[in-house]
Amino acid sequence: MDMATGLSAIFLQNRPVLLRFLRARGAGEDAEDMLQDMWMKLEAKDLGPVADPLPYLYRMANNLMLDRYRSSIRREKREHDWAGGAGGVMADASENIAIDERMILTQRLEEARAVLRELGPRVELVFRRFRIEGVGQRLIAQELGVSLTTVEKDLQKAYRAMIALKQRLDTE
Amino acid sequence: MNRADAMIHEDALLWMVRTRDPEFVDWEGFTAWLEVDPAHGTAYDALMAQDAELAGIIPADPVPMLAPANDAGHPAERRWRSMRWIGGGAVAAALVAAVSLSVMNRSDIYTVTTAPGEIRTIALDDGTKIDVNGGTTLRLDRKNLRFAALDSGEAAFTVRHDEAHPFRVTVGDDLFEDAGTVFNIVRSDASTRIGVSEGKVIYNPRAEAIALPAGRALTEDATGVKVMNIAPEAVASWRNGRLVYANAPIGEVGEDIARSIGVRLSTTPGAAAMRFTGTIALDRDPARFFAGAAPLMGLTAVRQGDGWLLKEGDGPQS
Repeated sequence: MDMATGLSAIFLQNRPVLLRFLRARGAGEDAEDMLQDMWMKLEAKDLGPVADPLPYLYRMANNLMLDRYRSSIRREKREHDWAGGAGGVMADASENIAIDERMILTQRLEEARAVLRELGPRVELVFRRFRIEGVGQRLIAQELGVSLTTVEKDLQKAYRAMIALKQRLDTE
Repeated sequence: MNRADAMIHEDALLWMVRTRDPEFVDWEGFTAWLEVDPAHGTAYDALMAQDAELAGIIPADPVPMLAPANDAGHPAERRWRSMRWIGGGAVAAALVAAVSLSVMNRSDIYTVTTAPGEIRTIALDDGTKIDVNGGTTLRLDRKNLRFAALDSGEAAFTVRHDEAHPFRVTVGDDLFEDAGTVFNIVRSDASTRIGVSEGKVIYNPRAEAIALPAGRALTEDATGVKVMNIAPEAVASWRNGRLVYANAPIGEVGEDIARSIGVRLSTTPGAAAMRFTGTIALDRDPARFFAGAAPLMGLTAVRQGDGWLLKEGDGPQS
């Protein structure tokens, strides 16, 4: 049995739990269709060996929901911009605007740097390793000689601060 | 946000941290939490979307590599301090014999990339500073702070000299080794250029072993290796918003401009073959920049699609 067949078999066995997950995630009536999409993707792609097939399938379903949410936000924003009259007219793409944007960006980076610094070196390091470099929590815990719970708490602390900053910057 | 919303937000934050982990497996637990209230999924989605947008505001500084703590009984703060110290010296010393520039543990290597027009400064733990110009890809090694690989673009290195552990920069197959130094390297598809403004750099110490003291520059391209003089203040002058040249091919000048101000720039073959001596002041407004810089080089700049074209001068200035 090749790996693709293996993954398909696991998909079929776990169809009910995946459906339940998608519904809980808010897929509503589309849950069945989304499962069908997943099935087609699995059949179309030769995925090679997957170490943990079921978590892999869950993650795939979760990513589908995240994509769906992102495109609905984009659509809302477009409609909002259109209704607000911002659409249709292109702003003058003058370079001065680009410079202003760069300054704002630099300022935001500085603020983010300050927020991270205030959290203390360990929290900052854990957040960077996880969020920027994509290192797993278990490995980070090993590197630092701390428990997995500590890493999880550090990440919550960092995310709480960073998302609060992001929300503040967005409303400024 | 009321109290109930705040609690959902906190829970969602925890699930975000968990599910973002590549090794997360508790999808059933996550499902159970989602099933409690549709608001849970909405809060989770909103946080994940915000997380995706964080990329724009996270400063990408390198992180010093920490060694695992041997003694779990130490307070965290003390462990941190001792590891900083290890990052600075002992690891480098321990690795000096074993380090091979081509065989490295991938998880310790990180890449710093700048967009054209973007400048970034990196401070390494050993006191070395790297100014990275736009359009550049640089690789650094968390386990060996005395190493950098310039894959493309331009960077200026202000190296804290350590006799026992020279700072090394690899550029393709070439190796530059510092001997107490401030130097600038440019790598394009066609050539590698280095200019030294302080101290000394050794080019390919185990092959050609060409010593480049302050005020010397080296160019390597298809025609071979050339060593020439360079005014020390001209080295890495882009950091001060200027480009300084002595008899430089316009082709090279054009690449520097594109990287420094962040424009797509092409040159006609005729223009590329010309040479330039002088100082160009950088300006982030391309129209204003070219209006001043092109005549200085005896050339004309015209807008072409989303970029610019440098061609042989016509009109009054030719």
